[in-house]
Amino acid sequence: MKKINVSVVLVLLMAWLAACTGGGEVSTPPEEAAEETVVEEPVEEEAMEEEAMEEEAMEEEAMEEEAMEEEASGEPYTIGLVMVGPRDDRGWNQAHWEGMEYVLENVPNTELVWFDKLNPADNPDLTVEQVVDDLVAQGAEFIITNSAEMADGTNIAAANHPDVFFIHASGDDALTGDAPANVSNVMGQMEFGKMIAGCAAAMASETGQIAYLGPLIDAETRRLVNSSYLGALHCWETVRGNDPADLDFEVVWIGFWFNIPGVTLDPTQVVNDFIDGGADVVISGIDTTEAVVVSGQRAAAGDNVFAVPYDFTGACEEAPDICLGVPYFNWGPDYVRLIEAAMNDSWSQEWIWSPPDWTDINNPDTSAIGWVSGNGLSADAQTAIDDLVAGLADGSLNLYTGPLNYQDGTEFVADGATASDDQIWYTEQLLEGIEGVSE
Amino acid sequence: MKVTLSHIHKRFGAVHANNDISINVEGGTIFGLLGENGAGKSTLMKVLSGFFAADSGEIKLNDQVVSLSSPADALEKGIGMLHQDPLDVPPMRLLENFMMGVRGFLQPRRTAESSFRELCQAFDFDLDPHAFVHDLSVGERQQLEIVRLLWLGVETLILDEPTTGISAPQKEKLFATLHQLAADGKSIIFVSHKLEDVEVLCSEVAVLRQGVLVGQQNAPIDPAGLVKMMFVQEVNLEERLNVDLGSTFLQVQDATMSDLRLKMEGVTLDVKAGEVIGLAGLEGSGQQLLMQACAGLHRIDKGAIVVGGQTLSGRPYQEWLNAGVAFMPADRMAEGLVPGLSIAEHHVLTRYRRDQEQDKKTIDWPLFRKHSQEKITEFNIKGFVDSTVESLSGGNQQRALLSLLPKKLRLLIMEHPTRGLDIESVLYIWGKLLKRRQDGTAIIFSSADLDEVFQYSDRIVVCFGGQITAVLNTSETSVEQLGYLIAGKQPPADLREENV
Amino acid sequence: MKRSFSPVAVGVAPVLLALLVTSLIIIIAGAQPLEVFLAIINGSFGTAIKISDTFVVWVSLAICSAGLLVTFRAGQWNIGVEGQIVLGAIGAVWATRLFEGGAPALVISTMLLLGMIAGALWGVLVGLLKIYGGVNEIFGGLGLNFVATSMTIYLISGPWKPEGTSSVSASKLLPNEIWLPTLEGLRVSPVSIVLALIVIVLVFLALRGTIWGLELKAVGQNDRSAFVLGVPTQRILLSAYTVCGICAGLVGAILVAGVRHQLVVNISAGYGFFSILIVLLSGFTAVWSPLIAFFFAALGIGGTALRLGLDLDSSLSGVLQGVLVVSFELVQGIRQKWFGGDN
Ligand SMILES: Nc1ncnc2c1ncn2[C@@H]1O[C@H](COP(=O)(O)OP(=O)(O)OP(=O)(O)O)[C@@H](O)[C@H]1O
Ligand SMILES: [Mg+2]
Repeated sequence: MKKINVSVVLVLLMAWLAACTGGGEVSTPPEEAAEETVVEEPVEEEAMEEEAMEEEAMEEEAMEEEAMEEEASGEPYTIGLVMVGPRDDRGWNQAHWEGMEYVLENVPNTELVWFDKLNPADNPDLTVEQVVDDLVAQGAEFIITNSAEMADGTNIAAANHPDVFFIHASGDDALTGDAPANVSNVMGQMEFGKMIAGCAAAMASETGQIAYLGPLIDAETRRLVNSSYLGALHCWETVRGNDPADLDFEVVWIGFWFNIPGVTLDPTQVVNDFIDGGADVVISGIDTTEAVVVSGQRAAAGDNVFAVPYDFTGACEEAPDICLGVPYFNWGPDYVRLIEAAMNDSWSQEWIWSPPDWTDINNPDTSAIGWVSGNGLSADAQTAIDDLVAGLADGSLNLYTGPLNYQDGTEFVADGATASDDQIWYTEQLLEGIEGVSE
Repeated sequence: MKVTLSHIHKRFGAVHANNDISINVEGGTIFGLLGENGAGKSTLMKVLSGFFAADSGEIKLNDQVVSLSSPADALEKGIGMLHQDPLDVPPMRLLENFMMGVRGFLQPRRTAESSFRELCQAFDFDLDPHAFVHDLSVGERQQLEIVRLLWLGVETLILDEPTTGISAPQKEKLFATLHQLAADGKSIIFVSHKLEDVEVLCSEVAVLRQGVLVGQQNAPIDPAGLVKMMFVQEVNLEERLNVDLGSTFLQVQDATMSDLRLKMEGVTLDVKAGEVIGLAGLEGSGQQLLMQACAGLHRIDKGAIVVGGQTLSGRPYQEWLNAGVAFMPADRMAEGLVPGLSIAEHHVLTRYRRDQEQDKKTIDWPLFRKHSQEKITEFNIKGFVDSTVESLSGGNQQRALLSLLPKKLRLLIMEHPTRGLDIESVLYIWGKLLKRRQDGTAIIFSSADLDEVFQYSDRIVVCFGGQITAVLNTSETSVEQLGYLIAGKQPPADLREENV
Repeated sequence: MKRSFSPVAVGVAPVLLALLVTSLIIIIAGAQPLEVFLAIINGSFGTAIKISDTFVVWVSLAICSAGLLVTFRAGQWNIGVEGQIVLGAIGAVWATRLFEGGAPALVISTMLLLGMIAGALWGVLVGLLKIYGGVNEIFGGLGLNFVATSMTIYLISGPWKPEGTSSVSASKLLPNEIWLPTLEGLRVSPVSIVLALIVIVLVFLALRGTIWGLELKAVGQNDRSAFVLGVPTQRILLSAYTVCGICAGLVGAILVAGVRHQLVVNISAGYGFFSILIVLLSGFTAVWSPLIAFFFAALGIGGTALRLGLDLDSSLSGVLQGVLVVSFELVQGIRQKWFGGDN
């Protein structure tokens, strides 16, 4: 028995390490886009106005900032950030991290305390409540949690700390009424980002085989796959003039938001299988960067393949040359608005499903989601994307226009009609034409 | 190589196992080491082979003081030991085991294998280099260890009771080899309880008692004097009681049994209540398999085994126990005693399940300690109620095993029941066993010691190559005749006429 | 197995060695060792809340290591204990679904009960695989751990998906009434502490004073001899797995009823693996393992303070734990090699 000791301890530790290699967790907007909630949809003029105003405001702020520094007035306002994955994951969490950096730059006299990798693989024994306690003990007056699975924990922690304000990014409890009054929710409208991603993929593909690396199956992930597919179909058919029947759009769900060895499919393996199976563009829907990393390796080995990562502006850096671009979240502006409201005692509970700024979806100060084109994107494709964005912006284009059927042949949107927000939100199946399971 | 031990002390807690022992073994001689069970022989030899560090004292090899930090170190310096109880073996093949301890990595398997075969042939050992060590019987493991040590080229060879698992013809070969080795200048230390072995083999003998060196003799050896030195008082043979045999208790009916190495077919045997059956044969001829089958520890393939009128073959072991069957293995630390458990704990275990003399689920420790103490006294075990069984000397382990035998016993099956016991204990134990015959207990036992077989059995069953080749009435058989049968030959006609 | 040493004597040396080595690592990482150790102590005992959090973790580790003592006593490396915890959690959540809206006391009791049953079944499965399938318990256990995780993911993304959310990462939060009652303002439930104490005492008594405990030991030391002496070794093995499964299942149920209040992925949090280390460190003794468990719990809770207070990675306390285990093995090994008497 003595002899086995050491080796078993090693086995244990290895199993343990293997279990710890998981990444972060992407969470999602709420399902119930209830009617009473006003989804922010700034009309162009408004946006322009806002922009102008904000410019002014910024100048003022800059002056104020100097003044305040001179005064060195008061304690800094401490903001806590709880992240599900590592802050430098080139994905979901880094997007939040940069959102916070934006806040620190734009809201004077603020400082940050943070905790990352709060997920069942890295820190399985910690709860949101415990981490929030610690952050509050560090002086945090405002706390942001960034993962769907933190919803319940955030609510409990918020109830424990009624004086602290919370944003639970991607949640919907402020909408359903499950959250205490000091919790708001924020999420960007990623459907549009995914449409652009799909279009970029369709423009780049030579084989007409596009693969989507999906996490687990739920209404939100189905919605994002469908949006990608519609974007792809649009550019394949109307821009490139190809037969829709020749577009092969396949989804493989790995089973969770990130790789859990032995439990989920291994995303690296899945991406390799995609490429071996003839796909030449891989769109990522998971939290981690396997899609772009593996595609980069395969391209370096001579395969003709491109990738579209997800979540974070800088995601293309993993393999710039084969990256077509990335749909990303831009959390900063919404954070700034809510934090300032809390600081000025004008907080009110909100559920925010934040749209892109159609005048410039990449405006860092106004647009909640955006698209950065990568080195792999051709000039033609760029034009197609610009046209798509313009169409979506002025309302002349709605990709959710019928006839659209679900996979099992039932009608989703009738001929000539367009899908309502509700219909999109409650997407029950993948669309006809997509390969892969819906349930 | 000349080996000198001076003033060796070794204590285990309160036990002073070696108390100021000094002996001197000249190169080219065979040195005998005798003593009652627990006298300290194995301890002394383990000190010499680097297994234990002595508390104090000095070891000299060819007049050079050495310190032996481990068995491997001792081996390097030319000292190899064949242990009384073969140590734990990992699941490896004979050849791999054989090659263990070889200096230098690049030992070609093929040369090793051919040396292995040569050595085995030299001693008439029937060992398959590709079999697994853990499938071997105790005797065969000893054989393996002997050829391994010889192959490694040890200068000093320690044999701790090597002859208990070796049959008479093999023993002769071994002795011849030992003489040969001694003639080659190697020194040999031979630990034994068998005076006749020592008599023919050794040029010098030392006797230990309770950790102290009590006497030494040079050849020619006087056995009676040795016995006196060993036991203080004289040892007397008890009269053999004649018992009326009862009705048939065990029936083996045309049974087929097999393990990885052997298949026995058409085995038929009847044993009456009160009868003693001695199994004779070379190691690995099937005695072990037959006994395990009769004890319910090995499932037979075909046929039936009927115990006390009940067909028990194919039934769970617990039912055999309930029918009053008990088994005593040769490999006592692997199949009989649980290392790590004390003597008292063993008594708790056996009394609860097997003997069902106790039905409370909790243990009444004072009661059991008292009970164990009684058994320790009764069986003259050198040890305490709380001694773990592995801390007992080989002979005392055997006594502990015997002390565990249940009161209600109908059939007792024993492999080498007196393995490692000193003469006095052998007599005492057999006395106790034979008394059980009066209550109708049948006994089946195997032994490598033909004298023992002759002395105690009513009938002798001879196994050869997986077959029962003869069933003989002891009173009508001679040792010589048996020798032929064991070796698988028919006795010459004149022998047969004389005796049958 | 190693039972021949006194944990007190051998307990201090490794701790000192571990402190020394970690100090070095901390200095290399660019921090003050003393500051780090103080932060850990402060982070685990600094406030009432921290102390109570430490106890929350302790409950899991203590119950789990009590169960593992039983399987270890039978010579079994029950690596599957993680999965048994997970199954306990699943069983507990299942109970809340069966008795939705029932009287809280009833629901909580069934949670604990079903948790224990589910854990026991998962444990017995390892034993059955070993006995009848010849699958080594380490591999069987590892495999079943994966299956348990997959089951969790299946349940929370399938049948037990909370209604009204599109995203899936946990089952529905349980209503407040069926949480284990906690002390005012703290997260620790006295009920769970009492349960832990009961389990520890029961296991201690069972191993020490019952026939069953002795039979476990016999099977663990040499199952062949035990069998020949009449111990029904297979039944004893299965009973060991059952008891350990019950303990692990109880841990899972407490994690649901008292800590997480929902089923989340990896709810077992590695407590099973830690408990294995704890039992090894305790020298397989029922007296020492709860104390060592407390030490580990404090290290775990204190570790988070590092990152916040000192901006160090909290895995540093994991390093401390790792170094501790290795130091222990080392000291133990050296002791046996240089001072060892037996064999
Ligand atoms: N590891 C140990 N721990 C404690 N006591 C031991 C240990 N090994 C041997 N002893 C004790 O030392 C004494 C001498 O034992 P040893 O094995 O040397 O006897 P022996 O002469 O070989 O006897 P036997 O003929 O029975 O083999 C015995 O009383 C035994 O109980
Ligand atoms: Mg001996």
